[in-house]
Amino acid sequence: MSILINKNTRVLVQGITGNIGSIQTKYMLREGTKIVAGVTPGKGGERVENIPVFDTVEEAINNFKIDVSVLFVPARVAKDSVIEAIDAGIKTVVLITEHTPVHDVMEMKAYALQKKTLLIGPTTPGIINPSECKVGILPANMFSPGPVGIISRSGTLSYEVAANLCAIGIGQSTVVGMGADRVAGTNLVDILKLFSEDKETKVVVIVGEIGGTQEEDAAEYIKEKMSKPVIAYIAGVSVPPGKRMGHAGAIIEGGKGSAKSKIQALIAAGAKIADRLYEIPSLAKGLIS
Amino acid sequence: MRLHEYEAKEIFSKYGINVQQGGLAKTLEEAKQIAINIGMPVVIKSQVLVGGRGKAGGIRVVDNLNDVKRVADEVLKLEIKGYKPEGVLVLKKVEIKTEIYLGITIDRTSGIPMIILCSEGGVEIEEVAYRNPEKISKLPVNPLQNLYSYQVINAVKKIGLTGKVLVETVNIVTKLYQVFKEYDGLIAEINPLVLTKDDEIFCVDAVLQVDDSALFRHPELNKRKLSSMSERDKRFLRKGATFVKLDGNIGLICSGAGLAMATMDMIKDYPPLSPANFLETGGGITSELMVDCMELILEQQNLRAVFLNLYGGINPIHEGAKGIAKVVKEKKVNIPIVAKALGNRQEETWKTLEEVGVHVIKESETQKAVKFLAELLGVK
Repeated sequence: MSILINKNTRVLVQGITGNIGSIQTKYMLREGTKIVAGVTPGKGGERVENIPVFDTVEEAINNFKIDVSVLFVPARVAKDSVIEAIDAGIKTVVLITEHTPVHDVMEMKAYALQKKTLLIGPTTPGIINPSECKVGILPANMFSPGPVGIISRSGTLSYEVAANLCAIGIGQSTVVGMGADRVAGTNLVDILKLFSEDKETKVVVIVGEIGGTQEEDAAEYIKEKMSKPVIAYIAGVSVPPGKRMGHAGAIIEGGKGSAKSKIQALIAAGAKIADRLYEIPSLAKGLIS
Repeated sequence: MRLHEYEAKEIFSKYGINVQQGGLAKTLEEAKQIAINIGMPVVIKSQVLVGGRGKAGGIRVVDNLNDVKRVADEVLKLEIKGYKPEGVLVLKKVEIKTEIYLGITIDRTSGIPMIILCSEGGVEIEEVAYRNPEKISKLPVNPLQNLYSYQVINAVKKIGLTGKVLVETVNIVTKLYQVFKEYDGLIAEINPLVLTKDDEIFCVDAVLQVDDSALFRHPELNKRKLSSMSERDKRFLRKGATFVKLDGNIGLICSGAGLAMATMDMIKDYPPLSPANFLETGGGITSELMVDCMELILEQQNLRAVFLNLYGGINPIHEGAKGIAKVVKEKKVNIPIVAKALGNRQEETWKTLEEVGVHVIKESETQKAVKFLAELLGVK
């Protein structure tokens, strides 16, 4: 068991013929990912790493069963491509692309919600079940299989945390990148729920960041419903506040959003806080044994 | 991209939102001419992209035409938080009866636009929101639907407006939402929205911040943004790299924002070491980008070392290493460089870096690399 993906997951790659799409397809195949098809408009009939390429998602769906689509498309067509995947009936969509306009992200998120599709990203490194399946760009040599689930808003920090765990012999069940943008397709709480129900996961690590109120919402869930121990790290404690950009964000968050607010909420919910990244492995070790 | 007040007001006005008469002046003569055209008294406002202009003396009321040039001169010369104004706005002063707050932004957690109104506008708005939340009216907007007038009417009524003022405010909210949407706004704000003694409504201060990722849809703004940037800044923008100057002594390059923040925390654990900058490359590393990054970092004064923390997920770090090596060789860098670089093609990366004398840390824990850095510099 694991969450979101496993060794039988059939994966579509949108943007498979691009520079990044084709290299990452090779890397994903190397980790055992079952990539069945790719899509690039105008490149239908070609092959990448011997994977057939179609012009549209619909054509790919007509030829193969597909569970997950992962996107390496340019930001300006990200919204179109995500909606194409959702309309074709794919239930998990992973948008790797960086710099997607946030108004497009809001539209995709609302549409995915309406169509009961799980949208991970944008600006996510994707998802990995070490030694089984990888959907995205995470460097596989940083991970190994084991009992810790990781949810991270930052891509690179998820690699660091996993690598630090591996260094003391603790592997991961699934590692999920939430996406680092202002708006994420799926919220922290949704992924926490999946980990809460997953038998293989014994401990969950949340790698949060300043800004937004996701960690505060997660704290509420942890307090009420979480079935297993949670470790949390919030990046950005020492970051100086930036230039003020109007008042509206602060009014919405109403004092939430700072590192302090997140840490307080998580402590109150019973999560273990790692003040520094490198404290995570020993905390995890204590909770597993 | 945050627009100046005068730029935001130009756009708001184009959409039919009422702004005060006046215009932008870059010279004293222009300021005086505008004042003559609109009549006294006027308000002279510094056009600088930081908050707290009023408290810093960047907003001045002038009653007498003879004083316009003198005050304009003072405001034009006034640096606010280290920034010089691009010009001054000279505006016809309005007689304030009531101030309202109107802002539109993105609720990050639900991922939808949120319209916010408050019956008390002005600089203390956050305090009001905190102490008297009942004075705030919030209207979430479904991004897949239009904004309907009944929704806006309900939201505006909640802050106690009635009659003609209610209808006019509803109009302004609707227009501001249109601006927010069509300009890919992160924030569109009118604070205060002023109701005058003659029951006229004016947008007295305007904030508009546009999503940088959407500038391809706004070529006019994009051109303006690029015109104020150096060639290197443009390349950074194209590749998605972010640089922020800080006060410390360790030049820092990281391949992600979260990693950079965590690394900064760890460096600060070894005082007097402290990051000289925040630099995250984003996912677009190339050899050329790393040359730019290194050159930028090395321009900083009082550096004791450079610290690199890179992951090769989407980033071809073996390519990045070539750029680093090139700069180290050509610039004959004589301060230590410590690098932790892991992920795809890490061995090639290490080899390239070690050949030019970079200290490569091959363990996965950043704190070990930071500790090595500290010891190298004789800090415990």
